[in-house]
Amino acid sequence: MPGIAAYSTLHAAGADNHASWQAISTGRTGLKRNALPWCSLPTWLGEVPQVNDLRLPDELEAWDCRTHRLAWLALRSTDLQQATGRLVERYGASRIGVILGTSTAGIRSTEIAYAHWHAHGQWPAHFDYRRTHSLDALCRFSAGLLGLQGPMLTISTACSSSAKVFVMAQRWIDCGLIDAALVGGVDSLCLSTLQGFNGLQLLSSEICRPFDAARSGISIGEAAGFVLLDREPAAINLVGGGESSDAWHMSTPHPQGLGAQAAMRQALQAARLGPADIGYLNAHGTATLANDRAEAAATRAVFGPDAVPISSTKGVTGHTLGAAGVTEAIVVIQTLEQQRLPPSTNLREVEPALGLDVILEPRQAGLRHAMSNSFGFGGTNCSLVFGRAS
Amino acid sequence: MELQFALYSAGVLAPGLSSLSDWLAWCKTRQPVAADTTLLPLPLALPANERRRSSQVVRLALACAEQALARSPFAPDQLRSVFASDEGTGEVCQQMLEALATTGQVSPSLFHNSVHNAPAGYFSIATQSRQPSVSVSLGGESFGAGLLCAVSETCSSGQPVLLLAYDAPLPQPMRSLLPIAKATASAWIIASADAPSPAQPPLGRFALSLNPGAADRGDTPAAWLPAAWRGNSSAQAFAVLALLANASGSCEFAFGAQRICVRLMQSPAAC
Repeated sequence: MPGIAAYSTLHAAGADNHASWQAISTGRTGLKRNALPWCSLPTWLGEVPQVNDLRLPDELEAWDCRTHRLAWLALRSTDLQQATGRLVERYGASRIGVILGTSTAGIRSTEIAYAHWHAHGQWPAHFDYRRTHSLDALCRFSAGLLGLQGPMLTISTACSSSAKVFVMAQRWIDCGLIDAALVGGVDSLCLSTLQGFNGLQLLSSEICRPFDAARSGISIGEAAGFVLLDREPAAINLVGGGESSDAWHMSTPHPQGLGAQAAMRQALQAARLGPADIGYLNAHGTATLANDRAEAAATRAVFGPDAVPISSTKGVTGHTLGAAGVTEAIVVIQTLEQQRLPPSTNLREVEPALGLDVILEPRQAGLRHAMSNSFGFGGTNCSLVFGRAS
Repeated sequence: MELQFALYSAGVLAPGLSSLSDWLAWCKTRQPVAADTTLLPLPLALPANERRRSSQVVRLALACAEQALARSPFAPDQLRSVFASDEGTGEVCQQMLEALATTGQVSPSLFHNSVHNAPAGYFSIATQSRQPSVSVSLGGESFGAGLLCAVSETCSSGQPVLLLAYDAPLPQPMRSLLPIAKATASAWIIASADAPSPAQPPLGRFALSLNPGAADRGDTPAAWLPAAWRGNSSAQAFAVLALLANASGSCEFAFGAQRICVRLMQSPAAC
C-alpha cells in the first residue's frame, strides 16, 4: 500500500496545493471566457496564465514548451523537492521510478512550428521535436530536474493517462523494481484539443456544468500535477486501482458505463473494500451529455442510487485531459486530509434522472476512503481508491 | 533482480516479413529483403465502419496482434494488453496539424484517431475485450518501456499479457524530425510462472533485469538489423526475438537512465 510522501498541483484555479484546495473546497471556478490570442472559439478555458511569459532557466531552454513550463512550475514545490531528497537518500536515485501521463505532450510547439513550415517550407531553425513535443520529453525533463534515475515511461491513454500512472507505480513497487515513484501528468492548452473537441461538438460555449440538467459540454483546462509515492505507508495511501476497457466506441462511452463499472469494482476489490466504505467519489464528470449519463449509470450500478456523495471538480479546473487523473487524485488526497467534501460547481439544477447524491455545498465529513474516476477516448477507464491511515 | 516470463506466441510485421518464422529464417541468412513496404491486411475483426476509418498504424497493430492471437493458448478476452510505440499515431497527428494550418478545423475521426491509445481502443473493440490496456512511450526506447510494463503486469497480476510494439512510417515533413520510414511491429503473448499454465509449450522462457547507472554506455541498436528500419524503437523487439533463432544469448539496450537486459533462459527445443 504505497504512501503519499508529497504532492504538487497547479491549475487555473490554484498555483499551489494550498490555493488549489481553497478553490476546490469552496467551488470557486478558475474558468474564464476564452481570450487566447491564437484561438477564437467561443468557449471557457482553464488557463494557467503564469506560463505565458515564463522563461525557463537558461540551461533548460532547449526543453522550453508550454507543457514543460507547467511541469517546471509544479516541480518547484519545496515539499515535493524535500521529500524527493529524503527518498533519494533512503533508496538511491535509481530506485525511484518516473511514470507520467500526458495526452497532448508538447503538441502546441509543433502546431506553431508546423504553421512556420507551411509559410516558409522549412521547420524553424531551433525547433527540437524530441525535447519539446515527443511523448517521452516530459519524463526526461522531470527526472532531470529532480535527479531521479529509476525506470521511466510516459502513459498516454487520453483522459485516463495520469490516473493509470498510479496503478503502474504500484505494480513496479509490488514487483520490487522500485521503492518509490514520481507519478503525475501534464497537459497544456493547444489548438488540437480545442478544435478536436469542437469538431466533436463536445465543447461548451458556456462554462461547463457537470451533472446539470442543461449541461452542454466541456471546458478545457491545463494543469500539472505530481505525487511522490513511497512503498512505505503514510498518513494517506493509495489503497487500490482498477482498470478496464469499454470495447464500445472510440469517442463515446458505453451507455450503461459497463467499462466504468468494471474499473470501479476492480479498484474496490484491489483495496479490499465494499461500496459502502467509500465516503466520497470524485467523478470524471466532464459535463458532456453522454459521459455524465454513462458515469451516473455505472455509479448507480456499483454503489446504488444516491448512495455515495459525488462531485465533479472540473467546473473549477476545466477538463485538464491527460492531467485530469492526477489533478483529481490530489483533490481526493486533500479531501481525506481535510475531511471536507468539495462541491460540484456551476450547477443550476441536477439532472434528476442521474440518481446521484451530488454535493452542492461544501461540507465536513468523517471519511476513511475516497475514489477518483478517470475515463478516456478509446474506452479507457481507471478508478483509484485512496485511504487515510487508521 | 530478475523478472521471468514465458513467450507463448508472437507476431512479426516488417518489409518482406509477415510472421515470426519469416523473421527467424531471415536471422539465419541475413540476406537483404526484396520488399520495400510492410503488407498491412485490413483488420477484418473490426466492424465495417471502424475498419473504413482505421489508420495505417491501427491496421499495423491489429494485423500483428491477429498473428499472435492465431497461435495463442489464451483467448483474446483473457489478455491484458500493453501498446508501446515511439510516435505511433504520428501520421494522424500530421494530418491534424495540416488541417489546423489550412482549414483551422479538425474532424471528429481525425481527432479520436490521433490519440496514442487509438490502436488499443480499436483492439478492444475488435476483440470485445474489457480487459485493462495501457499505451506507453519512451521515444526511441519505447520497446523497453512496453516490455517492462508487460512483464511487470503479468508478474503482479498472474494473468497473461499481450504486448504490441510498433512504429508506423511518418510522412514528410514530420519524417525529417523523426526518421521513421518503414512500418515494423511485433506482438508478444507472455505469461509469468504464476499465470495459469497452458498445455501448449512456450516458444522460450526469458529473464528481464534492469541495470542501473549504465546509461553512459550509449545505445547500440544491433548493427545487423536491416538498415531501413533498425532505428525504429520497435526494432529492438526483433533483436530479442532473434535470440530464439540462436537458441541462446541475451540482448541489452538503453532505457532512460538504465539499461534493460533480456536473457533467453530456455530455448524452444527445451520448452
